Amino acid sequence: MATIHLEELRKVFSVGGTDHVAVDGISLEIPDGSFTTIVGPSGCGKTTTLRMLAGLETPTSGRIRFDDRDVTDLRPQERNVAMVFQSIALYPHMTVRENIGYALKIDGVPKADRDEKIEEAAETLQITDQLEKMPSELSGGQQQRVALGSAFVQDPDALLLDEPMSDLDAKLKAELRVEVQRLHKELDTTVVYVTHDQTEAMTMSDHVVLLNEGRLEQFAPPTELFDRPTSAYAARFIGTPATNVFEAAVESGESGPVVKGQGTTVRLPTGALADRVGETVSLGVRPQYVTLDGGDHGLDVTVEVVEPLGTESVVHCRTADGTPFDVVTSDLAGVDPGETVRAGFDTEHVYLFDAGGETVAFGTDLREPEESP
Amino acid sequence: MATSPRGLVAVPQRIQARLTRIGVYVTAVVVAVFVTVPVYLMLTLAFQAPADAFAGGRVNLIPTNPTLRNFRVLFETTATSTYFRNSLVVTASTTLLSTAIAVSAGYGLTRFEFRGKSYAARAILFSYMFSPIVLAIPLYVVFFALGLLNSYFGLTLALTAISTPFTIWLMWQYFQTVPIALEESAWVRGASRWRTLWDVVLPVARPGYVSAAIFAFSVAWNDFTMARVIMSDENLYPITVGASLFLDRPTIGWGETMAVSVLICIPPFLIALFLQQYLLQGFNVGGLE
Repeated sequence: MATIHLEELRKVFSVGGTDHVAVDGISLEIPDGSFTTIVGPSGCGKTTTLRMLAGLETPTSGRIRFDDRDVTDLRPQERNVAMVFQSIALYPHMTVRENIGYALKIDGVPKADRDEKIEEAAETLQITDQLEKMPSELSGGQQQRVALGSAFVQDPDALLLDEPMSDLDAKLKAELRVEVQRLHKELDTTVVYVTHDQTEAMTMSDHVVLLNEGRLEQFAPPTELFDRPTSAYAARFIGTPATNVFEAAVESGESGPVVKGQGTTVRLPTGALADRVGETVSLGVRPQYVTLDGGDHGLDVTVEVVEPLGTESVVHCRTADGTPFDVVTSDLAGVDPGETVRAGFDTEHVYLFDAGGETVAFGTDLREPEESP
Repeated sequence: MATSPRGLVAVPQRIQARLTRIGVYVTAVVVAVFVTVPVYLMLTLAFQAPADAFAGGRVNLIPTNPTLRNFRVLFETTATSTYFRNSLVVTASTTLLSTAIAVSAGYGLTRFEFRGKSYAARAILFSYMFSPIVLAIPLYVVFFALGLLNSYFGLTLALTAISTPFTIWLMWQYFQTVPIALEESAWVRGASRWRTLWDVVLPVARPGYVSAAIFAFSVAWNDFTMARVIMSDENLYPITVGASLFLDRPTIGWGETMAVSVLICIPPFLIALFLQQYLLQGFNVGGLE
């Protein structure tokens, strides 16, 4: 168990004379015993960050500390971490038992103790019947369990998982997601999990690290990331379908500033954004909070495609100027491709982003108790 | 269907397939005849007494009286056992040395970045293109200066020089097929670089280094040129050179010569028999099928 501190962590790869900044000055503190997910699109530096935690990459600058111990320059062998690789990386010439127990063998743990721990891990992960088999005889899901089992017996300061489920099918993913979380509880260790799948990030973690081109975009618990994204990027990356964002402008109205765009007007509380009058901003609203009837505000959108998901459907629309606008609804009455519908939403569900994409106001802060719709 | 666009009569698929098969069989039979007939001649002469083999003024192709007489003559009147032992010593040390160099160099080329790496790799392949005889004279001069002529060590070095370019290249190719994640996962679990090489990389790369060893073995075992250049002391001749001298002796006839040929064939035959699966795997990766 360890709190992991990253201080101004930076990694630059030089390929053929050109520098590529993979990780660009990340500072954060991963709490002891937490389940923290690093999420972001391909090439955002999440795997590089994880590999620096494991010691497989050396930071160009910045420090990494496990509690008070500076591990920045320690080799992977000298850090007590366990890692599960994307490619699973089981040793093809060792049985499942030997694979799980390899770390213990290196540590010089006697065979009897080793076997005891291996069997305990195998039982937790329900692979007891597979212990004497070779990895090639196992299914993908079983192989993944073996990889988790190897990490399990190690009792590490930190368990690092590098997209361990990206090659599995949806059903197995759901199963292993539960498995990984159970393992986290049993191991009582700090888990750092890398994924590009925001659903995994949202469902499993205590904290989410959202990266954008090597920079830290937001570090927050999942609910906060969903409810109070600090930027348009965070708002659009987390949650499916992505948050609707459209252009608007801050103008001065009769009773203070208002935000106008796409034919809708959001009134602001007195004094809010007074210094931004005349600026171009973006309005964001999650498709889940858009209704096809009612709402404080509304705009006319044209339905393009309807995707039924069972209990509800995603309606893909476009606004008058062609900006995509999605609605999640369970009431499809009168919603047909080509029809124009009114998409309504409340002030409290609105995000307001400035021209650079930073969040300047959350809807919940813009609500005025005395205002009537 | 009956005619192709150019007006020629199209050959039906079934006939084409049959022709292909006949072609393959004919080729196989021709190759087999050219390989089997000499081997059969060697065996039949080796296991008959000269009197039986050449009775009636013609070669007796079906042994009626098999005997080990030729082998007995070889071991009693010639230095065959010494030659054989020399061959074994030099071949074993060449195989070990060449494989060890190939494994370390191949691993280094695969896993470490260094200046001039691509030149080094090209130089290795380039040096493989020289015929051994080109190396013979310069090596003689070098070994003369170093006092390594007429020694097992000298011959081992020379044969290693001939076989390593290819074995290094083979191992380099093979190590590239071993995923780095296997090694990284061992490091994270606390295994040192050496321990990882021993526990993880080498077992996974076994088909590769077995192929490299087999190649080094065959270079060393079949060598004639280098031994002829470096060894002038008859007690140090390997069996290839030793056997070539038999034909000049009046006391040694075709029967004994064929018997020594059989002896020369035994080790490669055993190796091919027991290690052929590795051989195929290793050369597959090396791009030689």
